[in-house]
Amino acid sequence: MSAEWPLKANTKAVGITIRDLEVVYSTGQGQVPAVNGVDLDIAGGQITGIIGESGSGKSTLAMAIMNAVPHPGRIVKGSVVVDGVGNMLTLDKESQRRARGRNLGFVFQAAQNSLNPLTRVGHQVLDLGRSHNVKDLRGLLRRAKELLHRMGMDADRVLTAYQHELSGGMRQRVGIMFALVLDAQVVILDEPTTALDMLSQASVLEIVRSIHEERDITTILITHDMGVVADLADRVVVMYGGELAEEGETAEVLAHPAHPYTKGLIQAIPRISGDLSQAVALSGSPPDLKTFMQSGCLFYDRCPERVAECQVKRPPYESAGPERKVACFRVMPHD
Amino acid sequence: MIEVRRLEKTFPGKHGLLGHDAVKAVQDVSFRIPDGGAVSFIGESGCGKTTIGRILAGLENYTAGEVLVDGQNLATVDRRQREAVLRRVQLIQQDPYQALNPARTIEQALSDPLKVMAKARGADTAWILQRMEEVLGLVGLEPEAVVHKYPHMLSGGQRQRIVIARALTVEPSVLVADEAVSMIDVSLRLGVLKLLRDLREKFHISLIFITHDVASARYVGEDGQMFVIYKGMIAEQGPTDDVILHPQHPYTQALLSAVPVLKGLESPGSDRYIPLKELDHGQSPENACLFAPRCPFAQPLCETERPALQGASGHQYACHYPQERHVVAVALKE
Repeated sequence: MSAEWPLKANTKAVGITIRDLEVVYSTGQGQVPAVNGVDLDIAGGQITGIIGESGSGKSTLAMAIMNAVPHPGRIVKGSVVVDGVGNMLTLDKESQRRARGRNLGFVFQAAQNSLNPLTRVGHQVLDLGRSHNVKDLRGLLRRAKELLHRMGMDADRVLTAYQHELSGGMRQRVGIMFALVLDAQVVILDEPTTALDMLSQASVLEIVRSIHEERDITTILITHDMGVVADLADRVVVMYGGELAEEGETAEVLAHPAHPYTKGLIQAIPRISGDLSQAVALSGSPPDLKTFMQSGCLFYDRCPERVAECQVKRPPYESAGPERKVACFRVMPHD
Repeated sequence: MIEVRRLEKTFPGKHGLLGHDAVKAVQDVSFRIPDGGAVSFIGESGCGKTTIGRILAGLENYTAGEVLVDGQNLATVDRRQREAVLRRVQLIQQDPYQALNPARTIEQALSDPLKVMAKARGADTAWILQRMEEVLGLVGLEPEAVVHKYPHMLSGGQRQRIVIARALTVEPSVLVADEAVSMIDVSLRLGVLKLLRDLREKFHISLIFITHDVASARYVGEDGQMFVIYKGMIAEQGPTDDVILHPQHPYTQALLSAVPVLKGLESPGSDRYIPLKELDHGQSPENACLFAPRCPFAQPLCETERPALQGASGHQYACHYPQERHVVAVALKE
């Protein structure tokens, strides 16, 4: 049977290696590739921000890391190797289940709605513990309390509360507590701040930042907000139409974006200082069914820098300098 | 021109098992918006900013104070006049998904208000079609591409543009935009904000912009007035850029600190601080500063006396110990 829940925090940061991952959704109009041939190394101990618009496949990618893509989605091929756990896509069902929660913590989009409305938060912590064979349930509750306290909440009140008694920002913190309470070494946050106002967003991000540093965990942040990634992440991965468009170290990508889509995303952030005319809206619509059928670059229709070649051929995702990858014909590889 | 004097709104309490005390959603709020002007209300969820917008749009009664639209007092005009007055004030809500009937095409959604307008001015069907093309053009949509579509076939940004087009059909003089872009993908937000800005410039439509995002408020109303609202009261008010660049109230400073800092392009302001404590929705003592429980700079006086708005007439703040702090991110030099 499974081993006893370890009492000491993990010391080694866990990385994730994704290779040739393909996820399709079956729809009335046929198979739509939501994630298409993604190769991605998520470095242990870092905060990786995955950014994309609605329909870019970023949430599907996150679910695929857990091997929990919801129907009608289906993982067609590829591998997701989590250090110390193995390939999530080929592990047996029981090991997968144990890995979720214990190794991989997940904070859902709209954590507001991911709690059970009928039982108190404390009971849900105990349920989680039982389903993961935690022997020391008292210790687990104590740990939950510590985490809640750490996030600036009245722990006793929260544990005895039902979800409707908590505000949006508080529920999001409770979601983070659930992801961490079993000492997961990898935490995946799917749009953790989307429904929150700026102040709650800032405090949730501050919490993620400080817990990440304290525990030396690997954090994956999925969002459509470039500002959130730019503030928090060590590395940025830009997704477009189910494929990777660009990745690199955050400050480097922000200061010198290479892909026209990345440039557009950065320009579209309204700022509170400086010249307002520098903000330029991104034109066109997010990728849809038709986009995926294109043989050329997925961003072709919206690209201000397109050339003839872009319409017929899809640019390969290639290295463009140290720690940097870009899929664009207009970017000359540096090495 | 809209003028609001000492507006107050109290939601009555309830008795019984699920009862609660009366909630003072808006207290002592005064402002005026000239034609084509912009006013933004900034604050967290639950601070009362939405209630102000709903009162202006006539969806909510107020407890005390005066609301004057083009000189007509909302409380005293007769019913028919009130309808005409309120038609000039159009509300654009947060969720374009809920604002449009999913079973009706864009053409149907837009033709209803246009039919009313046509009847009022004795125009025919051709006028309706022409006007529909006009408003769709104004919001930056290709009429042929959208009129026969249903709302679910459009992106969030397009849907919000349709909602704005529908508001424009009745030729309003004021738009009240309540979190109008917060449900839209960040990449498409700026396009809708630009549209609101253009409507101000081109048609002299006044804009009341309600948001928790200081940056988008600045984008649509850089030349307007900004009101920072906390628990229904004005914490700080002044010309938008003045409030942003020289914030005096600790709450304004917290909101400005919350704007993400772009690594690689900016460095955080030296005084940036983010309160981890959430807004409590309980009653605050009558004689204490509303923000005192969360304020890192609170002094004993803040617990015993509620600060009144002070400062030069243009830029005012309700704080006993106002102090400018550097919380806005600074651009890095290349």
